[in-house]
Amino acid sequence: MWQKSKPYLLLLPAIGTIVLLFFGGLFDGLLKSFGYFPAIGETRFEAAAYTELLQSSEFWASLVLTLRIAALSSLFAGVLGAIIAISLFLLNESTKSGTSQLWHRLFQLPLTIPHLVGGYIIVLLFMQSGFLSKILATAGIIDEITDFPVLVNDPFGWGIILTYAWKEAPFISLMIYPVLARIHRSWREVARVFGAGSWDFVHEIVLPAILPAWTIATFIVFVFTFSAFEVPFLLGVTYPSVLPVYSYQLYTSGTLADRPEALALNIILAAITILLGIVVYYFSKRWNVLKGWD
Amino acid sequence: MNKTSWLTKIILVVVLMLFIGLPFLLLVLSSISFGWQWPNILPESFSFRSWEYVLTGSSDTWRAVGFSLLIAVTVTAVNILLAVPAAKSLVRNQLRAKWLFEAIIFAPIVIPPFVAVMGIHLTFLRLGLTETVLGVVLAHLSPTLPYMVRAVVISYNTLSVDWEDQARMLGAGTISRFYHVVLPHIMPGIAAGASLSILISLSQYLITFIIGSGQVVTLPILLFPFISGGDPAIASAYSLLFAGIAILTLLGMDAALKKYYQKKKTATGKA
Repeated sequence: MWQKSKPYLLLLPAIGTIVLLFFGGLFDGLLKSFGYFPAIGETRFEAAAYTELLQSSEFWASLVLTLRIAALSSLFAGVLGAIIAISLFLLNESTKSGTSQLWHRLFQLPLTIPHLVGGYIIVLLFMQSGFLSKILATAGIIDEITDFPVLVNDPFGWGIILTYAWKEAPFISLMIYPVLARIHRSWREVARVFGAGSWDFVHEIVLPAILPAWTIATFIVFVFTFSAFEVPFLLGVTYPSVLPVYSYQLYTSGTLADRPEALALNIILAAITILLGIVVYYFSKRWNVLKGWD
Repeated sequence: MNKTSWLTKIILVVVLMLFIGLPFLLLVLSSISFGWQWPNILPESFSFRSWEYVLTGSSDTWRAVGFSLLIAVTVTAVNILLAVPAAKSLVRNQLRAKWLFEAIIFAPIVIPPFVAVMGIHLTFLRLGLTETVLGVVLAHLSPTLPYMVRAVVISYNTLSVDWEDQARMLGAGTISRFYHVVLPHIMPGIAAGASLSILISLSQYLITFIIGSGQVVTLPILLFPFISGGDPAIASAYSLLFAGIAILTLLGMDAALKKYYQKKKTATGKA
């Protein structure tokens, strides 16, 4: 009996913690999103919060903004991350391992920086009176502060997109580098024998090789930015705001009536992320991204 | 050295300067600036007043650092205790419904944890867990535990059962088998998981804010008013302090791991 149940007992503390604190919270939120809240005498189930939410223009504006920011952030991070990884790979071929190790470390630095700090760096760089604006003005390209485009706390979300591109590019490069590392030196030589230059080599061999891992990594960034709160809270505008910020605004608006709506929004957000998560899982298994090839 | 590698190197140096160097330089400059009018590229004058304020002028700073580290370390310690047995079970045993257990443990990586925290908020309120460090620690567990389990699972995957059997045949009991055979092998996994766990816990804003209700002031909570429209010099100094603590914690973890193996090496060397 002990031998049989032992593996399950070993799992129990971790599973119990997640079930209690995480799924308990999800379930708690789900009940309250339907207006079921015995502590204040509400024991009815109604989908009012959901219908109200789905009929409000704020919700759809928020959803569109969130999708757009997540798509652009992950795309920019993906391109930048791929450039970093490929440059590091080409550098690795021509230098001693010690130096390239250092380069790797330096490029991973943004990963360790807290999101809020990353957001603030973008504020200092890109706000209308920020560092770039100062450089452009000194160079004589712009004359007034107002000539510099509004990139921080702007309705389009550029500040948020820039922050994520900066923060997540190292993540993308970290995810695709192991695949690059498996491209043998001999392939490069074979390519050269057949007359391929550096660009041909990158274009014909490196890019196709990293494509599956790149797609998955970029999609992970998409899912993450879709549900992240801190950066849009700092760099966004009050309206329209991304889904997590909108949920927070509803939750802290002061009226208890908005709370079921906030929780309903959370449930919708959770459902979307679960769906996206399943897509990532399916394709990463199918393409065998994490193992690569032999 | 051929032409391409020089070209790559130059591109890399430029990208690195723009990508890593510039942001940090800007934070440093901004933190020691004393008046920085547009369109001057450099501040008009320099002063350490913001650092004075951050490091000695306000007792809030060190309290926030203390709270942040206390919470991060507690969360990580609990995570290690939960993750090591769970990882062992996931790797070693043919579990029924293994996919379900994995789905449960890794769910907080996909579903944003603030959803669960907002849901459980009122229950925490009634249990008296809001505005307490304990409440915040509990709230930080689900966003961090999955990463810890994942890291330890990867380590366990490469540990052969044979080694433990060998130790058993030589008469080692459960505890000494774990301490002398299993632990040294899974230590890098634990360290990697701990680094992630600490980093994630340190940078939580929303979850800490909801459960701590502004009473548990960690670094992100302290930082936020400054970076969203406060004094730029102080905001920059706090940002650097915050980033510095995150990086130092990681480096410390790395050094501790190295020391652990060195000790192990000398211990076995003497025996």
